[in-house]
Amino acid sequence: MTVGVSDLAEDLWRGLEALALPAPVIRLGVTGLSRAGKTVFITNLVANLLERGRMPQLTARDRIEAVYLQPQPDMTLPRFALEDHLAAMTGDDPRWPQSTRAVSELRLSFRVRGRGFLGGMTGPRVLHVDIVDYPGEWLLDLSLLDKSYEDWSEGVLARITRRAEAAAFMALARAEDGSLALEEPKAIDLAASFTRYLVAARAAGWSDCTPGRFLLPGDLAGSPVLTFAPLPKPASTGRGSLYAEMQVRFEAYKAQVVRPFFRDHFARIDRQVVLVDVLGAIHQGPRAVEDLRRTMAEVLAAFRPGQNGWLDWMLGGKRVERILFAATKADHLHHRQHAALTAITEALLRDAKARADFAGAETMALSLASLRCTVEEEISRGGETLDAVRGRLADGRVVAMYPGELPGDPARILAPAREGAEKWLNADFALMAFSPSRVARKPGEGPPHIRLDRAAEFLVGDRL
Amino acid sequence: MSEEPRLKGPALIEVGGEVAPESFIEAPEGRAMAGVRALASRRASGFARFAGWVFGSLFSLVLTVAAWNFVTGLFAANPWLGGLASVLLVLAVGVVLVLVVGELLAFSRLARLDSIRVQALHAAEVGDLAKARAVLGRLEALYHKREPMAWARARLAERQGEVLDADALLRLAEVELILPLDDLARAEVEAAARQVATVTALIPLALADVATALVSNLRMIRRVAEIYGGRAGSLGSWRLLRRVFLSLVATGAVALTDDLLGSFAGGGILSRLSRRFGEGVVNGALTARVGLAAMEICRPLPFVAAERPGVSATVSRALAGLFGARDQA
Repeated sequence: MTVGVSDLAEDLWRGLEALALPAPVIRLGVTGLSRAGKTVFITNLVANLLERGRMPQLTARDRIEAVYLQPQPDMTLPRFALEDHLAAMTGDDPRWPQSTRAVSELRLSFRVRGRGFLGGMTGPRVLHVDIVDYPGEWLLDLSLLDKSYEDWSEGVLARITRRAEAAAFMALARAEDGSLALEEPKAIDLAASFTRYLVAARAAGWSDCTPGRFLLPGDLAGSPVLTFAPLPKPASTGRGSLYAEMQVRFEAYKAQVVRPFFRDHFARIDRQVVLVDVLGAIHQGPRAVEDLRRTMAEVLAAFRPGQNGWLDWMLGGKRVERILFAATKADHLHHRQHAALTAITEALLRDAKARADFAGAETMALSLASLRCTVEEEISRGGETLDAVRGRLADGRVVAMYPGELPGDPARILAPAREGAEKWLNADFALMAFSPSRVARKPGEGPPHIRLDRAAEFLVGDRL
Repeated sequence: MSEEPRLKGPALIEVGGEVAPESFIEAPEGRAMAGVRALASRRASGFARFAGWVFGSLFSLVLTVAAWNFVTGLFAANPWLGGLASVLLVLAVGVVLVLVVGELLAFSRLARLDSIRVQALHAAEVGDLAKARAVLGRLEALYHKREPMAWARARLAERQGEVLDADALLRLAEVELILPLDDLARAEVEAAARQVATVTALIPLALADVATALVSNLRMIRRVAEIYGGRAGSLGSWRLLRRVFLSLVATGAVALTDDLLGSFAGGGILSRLSRRFGEGVVNGALTARVGLAAMEICRPLPFVAAERPGVSATVSRALAGLFGARDQA
C-alpha cells in the first residue's frame, strides 16, 4: 500500500549508483570439485541469460533490455570458450565439454531498466557479472592454506593407508627415512609415485586429491615446488634433511601457487555457487560420500561469508553475501526425488551452510541440472510404477533409468558414511551417465535446464 | 467470518456520523458509500429473519393460492381463457426455474474460483508439483473458451513441462494468465471509483447518491468477477458485495476517515474548498477499496508474483482524470 522507507532508500541508492558510480560488478565464484559440472553450469547459465526464453523464474527477465558478452577486465587470462562449449553441448552430435585445464574468465554485462521510485528517471542501469572457470582439482588446494606440512602429511598418510591405489606409494614412503640428507632423484621418485597415486585415486572417485597441481601441473611441471610428497615425521629433522626440504617446498607451494590463485580468483567474490555431484558420490558408496563431505568442508572454510558493510566496501575487503549449494545432475532423477536430493545436499554441506548463515550471508540449497538431458517417464517393474528418467547414453542407446529410492531422511545417507560403512544398508543406487540429447531450440530459448533460472535469481536477481 | 466482525460492523457505522466537538468543518465521511455499506453488511437479527421467513412464506402462499384461484376461476368462466392463463403460468414458473438455475450456476462458478485459490495455496505450501499441475489444469478449463487468452495459454503450455517446482509453476501461471486480467479488473475498479466520485460530488439528493453508489459498486463487482471467470448472477453479485464488505470490516479497512488517504484527500484541502468535492473523493476512494477487495476475493490465484494493487495508487489514477490533473484517465 505504501512505499516503505527501506524501499525508498534502496531506490535512492540505486539511482545514485546509476548516476555517479561506475557500473557495479558482481564476481560470481563457481566452486566445485572436478567433474562437478562447473563448465557446463557456466556455459548454460550464460547461454540462458543471453536467450532468456527458458528463464521464467528470473523475475527481472522483463526488465532486462540487453545482455552482452564483454571482453573481460583481466588482461592476462584467456576468455572462457563459451561458444566452443555450447557448440559441443548443443551440436548435431551433442557431448559434454572437455574437462577444464586452465583458468579462463568471462564478463557478462546486463542493461536493465530501473524500477520503482527513481527507475523512470535514471534510465537503464548497467551491471557486470564476472565469472571465472578453473580446473576443479586446483580448488582442493584451498584446504592446504591453513595446514602445516606436518599436519597435511599425517592426515594424508592416515587416510590413504587403506586405499588399494596407494599401496605402491605407501611402500616407498615407509621405506624412506626423512632424516637423511636430500637427494633430488629420491624426491623426484617420491613425487612421481605420489602423483601416480593421485591420478589413480581421482579415477577411483576419491575427492581429497591434494595437491591439485600434481594432477594438472601446467607450466610448473618438474619444478621443485611440485616435487614433494607426504612423509612420516622422522625423529630428527635437521637442516637439509629430506623431511625439512619437503617442508620448505610445501610452504613454497602454498605461498607461490595456492595463495596467488586464491587471491586472484576467490578473495573478492561476492556471490558463490557450490556445485556438488551428490548423486555420483552416493552411487559410489558411503566412503565417497564421507570423503566428499570432508573435502568440501575443508575447501569452503577458506571463504569468508557475511554481509558487506560500508567499511568493507571502503576498504576493498569483500565477503561472500550469497551462497548457493547446488546438487548437480538433478536430471538423472525424477522430480519427485529432488526434495530428498536437496535435503541430502543441505545436510552434507551443513558445516559450511551454518557458518555462512551465522555470518549473515544468505544461503540456499537446491537440486539443479545445468543441462537437462533426460525426460521423465514412468516405467513399471513387477507391478509397481517407478518414476524414471529417459535419456541417451554415451554409446547412443536410449534407456529409461530408475536410480533407486533416495531416503527422505538425510541421516540414512550421512550416518553410515560417517561411520565408514563399506556399502549402503538395505539400499542400492545405480546411476548411468547420460549424454546431452539433441534439442530443437526455438528462437529466444536457451538450452534446456532444471532450476538454472532459480539459481540465477538467487545469485544475481536481487541486483538486477 | 466468525461472529466477531459481524458484531463490529454496525458499531463502526454509527460512529462514522459523529462530529468532533472542536472541528469547525464536518469531515466528509463518504456518506453515499456508508449507505451502501450499511445496506450490504447489514446482518438481520434472529427475529427479523424469522419475520422475513414468515412474511415470505405467507406472501408466496397467497401468491400461489391467488394464481390457483385465478386460473380455476377463469376455467370455470371460460375454458379458453383458462387454458391460456395456465399456459402462461407454466411459462412463468419455467422462467423462474431458469433464473434460479442460473443463479445457482453463478454461485458454483464463484465457489470454483475460491476452491482453485485454496488448492493453489495448498500446493504452494506443500510444494507438490502434481497438485500445482492440477491447479493449472483447472485454470486451463476455466479459461479455455477465451479467445484473447489463447496466446498466453499456449505460452504457459509450452513452458509448463520445464518448471519442476510447485511454487514456480503457480507463479508462472499467475504471470501468464492472471496478470493481464488484473489490468482489466483494475481498469474496471478505476472506472467505478471515478463514476462514484463524480456522481456523489454532483448529485445533491440525499438517497440518490446512495442508490448510484450501490448500483456502481454492484456492477463493478460483477464485472470483476466476470473478468476472473466467475460470471456472477444478480444474487451472486449481491452476495459478493456482502462478502467484500465483511472482509473489509474484518480487516478494519472500512474505517476510511482515519485513513491516510481520507485525511489527505477528503478531510484536508479538498473538503475545505468544497464539502461535496471531498465527499466525492472519499466515496471514490472507498469504491476503489471495495473493488480491490473484490479482486482479491475473485482472483483464482493469490497475489504472489504480482504485488497487491495499492489503494492510494488506484485512487490517484482513477481520480487523476476527473479533477483535471491529466487528460487521459
